[in-house]
Amino acid sequence: MTRLSGGLIDRDRTIAFTFDGRAYRGHPGDTLASALLANGVRLVGRSFKYHRPRGIFAAGSEEPNALVELRDGARREPNTRATMAELFDGLTATSQNHVGPLNFDLLAVNDLLSPFFAAGFYYKTFMWPRAFWEKLYEPAIRRAAGLGRLAEAADPDAYDKGFLHCDLLVIGAGAAGLAAALTAGRAGARVVLADEDFRLGGRLLAESDLLDDAPAVDWVAAAEAELRAMPNVRVLARTTVFGVFDHGVYGAVERVADHLPDPGQGVRQTLWRITARRAVLAAGATERHIPFANNDRPGVMLAGAMRAYANRWAAAPGTGGPVTVFTNGDDGHRTALDLAARGVPVAAVIDTRADAVAQGDYRLIAGGMVSDSKGRLGLTSVEVTANGRREWINCAALGVSGGWNPNVHLASHHRGRPVWDAGSNAFLPGAGGPVGLVPAGACVGQGSTAQALADGARKAAETLADLGIAAGQPDLPKAEDRSTAAAAFWHVPGRKRAWVDHQNDVTVKDIALSHQENMRSVEHLKRWTTLGMATDQGKTSNVTALAVMAELTGKGIAETGTTIYRPPYTGVSLGVLGGGDSGAHFRPRRLTPTHHWAAAQSAVFVEVGQWMRAQYFPQPGETHWRQSVDREALAVRAGVGLCDVTTLGKIDVQGADAGEFLNRIYANMIATLKVGMTRYGLMLREDGTAYDDGTCARLAEDHFIVTTTTANAGPVFRNMEFARQCLWPELDVQLISTTDAWAQIAVAGPKSRALLDRIVDGFDLSNAAFPFMACASLTVCGGLRARLFRISFSGELAYEIAVPARYGHALMARLMEAGADLGVTPYGTETLAVLRIEKGHAAGAELNGQTTATMLGLGRMVSARKDSIGAVMSRRAGLAEDRRRLVGLVPVDPAQKVVAGAHLFTEGAAQDTANDHGWVTSACFSPHLGHSIGLGFLEDGDQRLGEVIVAANPVEGQSVRLRVASAHFVDPEGGRQRD
Amino acid sequence: MTDLTAICALGATEPRRETFGALTLAERPDTALLSVALRRGAAQPAPLGLALPGPGAWAVGEGLAAFWTGPGQWMVEVPGKADTDVVATFLPNLPGCSLTEQTDGWTLFEFSAKSGATVGRLLERLVNLDTASLAPGRATRTAVEHMGVFVIRRAEAELAVWGTRSAAESLWHALSTTARRMETSGWAQQ
Amino acid sequence: MLIPHPLLGLRDAQEFTYLGDAALIDRPDPAAGEDAFCDYVFLRDNPAGVHRELWYHEQGDRSWLVVTRNTLTHEILGAELARDVALARREGRA
Repeated sequence: MTRLSGGLIDRDRTIAFTFDGRAYRGHPGDTLASALLANGVRLVGRSFKYHRPRGIFAAGSEEPNALVELRDGARREPNTRATMAELFDGLTATSQNHVGPLNFDLLAVNDLLSPFFAAGFYYKTFMWPRAFWEKLYEPAIRRAAGLGRLAEAADPDAYDKGFLHCDLLVIGAGAAGLAAALTAGRAGARVVLADEDFRLGGRLLAESDLLDDAPAVDWVAAAEAELRAMPNVRVLARTTVFGVFDHGVYGAVERVADHLPDPGQGVRQTLWRITARRAVLAAGATERHIPFANNDRPGVMLAGAMRAYANRWAAAPGTGGPVTVFTNGDDGHRTALDLAARGVPVAAVIDTRADAVAQGDYRLIAGGMVSDSKGRLGLTSVEVTANGRREWINCAALGVSGGWNPNVHLASHHRGRPVWDAGSNAFLPGAGGPVGLVPAGACVGQGSTAQALADGARKAAETLADLGIAAGQPDLPKAEDRSTAAAAFWHVPGRKRAWVDHQNDVTVKDIALSHQENMRSVEHLKRWTTLGMATDQGKTSNVTALAVMAELTGKGIAETGTTIYRPPYTGVSLGVLGGGDSGAHFRPRRLTPTHHWAAAQSAVFVEVGQWMRAQYFPQPGETHWRQSVDREALAVRAGVGLCDVTTLGKIDVQGADAGEFLNRIYANMIATLKVGMTRYGLMLREDGTAYDDGTCARLAEDHFIVTTTTANAGPVFRNMEFARQCLWPELDVQLISTTDAWAQIAVAGPKSRALLDRIVDGFDLSNAAFPFMACASLTVCGGLRARLFRISFSGELAYEIAVPARYGHALMARLMEAGADLGVTPYGTETLAVLRIEKGHAAGAELNGQTTATMLGLGRMVSARKDSIGAVMSRRAGLAEDRRRLVGLVPVDPAQKVVAGAHLFTEGAAQDTANDHGWVTSACFSPHLGHSIGLGFLEDGDQRLGEVIVAANPVEGQSVRLRVASAHFVDPEGGRQRD
Repeated sequence: MTDLTAICALGATEPRRETFGALTLAERPDTALLSVALRRGAAQPAPLGLALPGPGAWAVGEGLAAFWTGPGQWMVEVPGKADTDVVATFLPNLPGCSLTEQTDGWTLFEFSAKSGATVGRLLERLVNLDTASLAPGRATRTAVEHMGVFVIRRAEAELAVWGTRSAAESLWHALSTTARRMETSGWAQQ
Repeated sequence: MLIPHPLLGLRDAQEFTYLGDAALIDRPDPAAGEDAFCDYVFLRDNPAGVHRELWYHEQGDRSWLVVTRNTLTHEILGAELARDVALARREGRA
């Protein structure tokens, strides 16, 4: 019988599952590992490098061997620890890392070739020839090394995130954690208690010891019930706190639905960001093993895990056959006693201590050690060496107990270095760890139940006292108080391979080889052998490896030192880190007020930062975007076009000193602007480079509306707040963004005035009453408040009209309706760009952070009569003497294209950096001119009008002859926009 | 009155409303919003007798409410007045202040539940703020799914979220997804 | 990280935009000339230890803060409204 009596499983219900295609049964409360053991399955996988048969080694998240592919199809998840997978109905699991059947892995040949796979073999073997790496070595290694297959399909599950804030985070709900949480909860502190297990209790669930003469689970159940009833306590089971971040921020993953066949409409996992004033780390301890020859066979496991399987899960290790225990302390004897009590035959306990005493009715071999093992796919016997004699003992399982390593991981996340405690032969959390994180219980060496309970309660009370919260000490139950100390016996000497790190297949010999090859630092040892670098981060191997290394160097363990741990404590799925949404909702989208109108017109949209803007409006029969854009651009120049320009940043600037403030923000003069007028404004960075441009409209003496480019709306506002708060706090100025508040539509083209005249409420739009660059507040469409700006980005007679955003959609529809006879045409960002290139207006490509006002031909705008951001630095010789100027560029052969990004050279000059005279910034096909045009910065460009130059793109082998022209291809005198 | 028809931030002429168990999420297009910034040397006004609240707070008066947005800055909410020129209306009541119409800069979504516990659970999935700091009468600007918002706890079981109008659909998606998940997990029953 | 906002209490650093050395408050007088501005724009200290730096509460009240932080330990020793700091310096200079 491999299923024992008792245990914390629900025998009234049966769960069907499959492993490698075979059907098995288990019960609620089982993990995949316990159910497999209870079904007599020992062989569960193959090792990473040598493809050695492997079985279940541990009972918790430290498991190095029993990694499986859980579920199938899109939900298949490789490298899932069978010890952490809760059994659910219909669970399917597949062993991984083998070619052919699990019990006859073709790649097991690697085991025979093991001399070639020693430490550092990657570095030595796959170095030459270099060209072989990508094509041959890497694919072959990846195929062989595997560690499970990823699901090929997209992740079908939903993930969530959340934020918790508390006074005390308690990490771990074993004896120490429960005592800490009870202490803090009863004191009224806000507590979050998190445990990676699905059941609270930690080791209390795995042991047979009583608390106050009753089973420990009774006390656990009472504690849990009390905690769950407290409104100030949040209990999170199935939740791993995986990392500690600055100022008491902790990352945790709650596996909300991993124990269900399917999360249904719910989320699979939740990422919690926990902000805790203090935390008690009650992470417990992990048992270590003792390497001996061939110690990796299925059936060899940690003695404490064996006890857990028997006590908690009623699963007998070793298919119910006889069990041996190999120990260097009293702990192994507990396993023997518990197993015997549950009817599992104990063949022998082998204790390395010569003075060991049997604690029950079993055969004790004191002063002995296990020196070898047999059993191809599962343990059949162990060789015991004692007092110079060797003996083979038949057994189906061996429990190994080498002492306990405190789980110091989280305590070392801020480079807190664990310190070696020679008394307990263990690393304990050291100084310099995360501020506010207090380790308690077994993770600080207080490992007996009585110690853990008392330490948890005490640390919680002390920690809360720091916060000014008084906490009483709870009545703690009477508990066992045995020593958990183990002798300093680290590995069994021998010439055969003895595994230290099971998951990465690192043996004692590898460590010796690494030492022989002069890897003296533990960091080098780790990287040369890959010890501790597998998915388990060496939870069962690191300290043992250090001890072996210390032995080789003849130094103590304290001197040898230790590597430290980084987040995450256990693997975290990328899906849960990705957060709540994927696909279309991965990031916010901003829609313009006319978005739905444009969508109804079949507009094609383009992402501009977060904004979705109409790019062009294809009409029936148009099969190429150029057809649409050419039509739109010509319609604007011939009649009138409409474009939603809401995305330009709008900042409301008010206050008695608003004019003076803007004078300092903009390079040009703003304070002299008359009320009711608008002016182009150019901003510089403080280093003198051109930064952003837009318009300033003065609605009142103390009220301006300034616009920014779409891309810089946020940064410009931030910079203006910096200027307001940090540079000139004495000025009376108030800023607020109104970008979203107003729907703003450009109405451009010679017929724009005629169109607007049909919607304004008796407003005089004549050139005399409302000239170029005028602005006004008015009403339209029968009383709707609006703002009108006579500004032009196209060079045509043009306006921008703004109404409250909720009316943007209706206003656009009204303008289309009212202008039907005028040929009114909606246009998108492509046409906007064509129109501005034709007019020679600078945009993002010209204001790219490398150009100056002088280069843009705006040098005279930088006022010398006032201070402004960037003014002083713009006069630096290096900037002021830059000879490049913005010019227009036209292909000599009209059939050729101007290409943005091409560099400009004098005809006949060598095309190298020494002769580089500038570059093409923007280019398009001009439907107005009937050929390609461009803008660019050219050395002495303003003096070279008419010259033929070469635009070269050596990368693509292109070279086009261009004629230098005025940047203003359309109406260079500006009459159209002014009249 | 204009003959143009306004649309709600979510694109329809009628506001959207969705129910998740005992939790309701509703678009509220009728509340006007006005930003108020104190000018140099001005005394803090009390519009219609409402004492403007301090940092992190929200206060209700007769026909209006206000929340603090920054040093010397507030937002005034005026229910039912979204279609009016709130600047013109409030100019006499807010002397010494710079006023800016913000009604359409932001869009108001409101959650109502049956219990404060539900709103607490909602908050911990939406904002990285201590829910204790968002007790009734508290308001703050923060981020929901990378979107800037003002969050106001109007009552134990009532939560208002002002988000930028252009991001209304993304914000609604974020809020409704969270509410739906609460319903699925059984946390929206109160 | 958590930033102790002087008006709003502890707020997550994700709500803030980082700028850098608080010396950026001390913009030179325009008459101080190019060299002074070069120092101001390009030369800043990058101490391993206590540093005064500017943070902007972008997803909050839009205040600029001067935060005193130990760059080695990330310990935050205090935070002030940058406007108050700037005004105090002006008084100091006058």
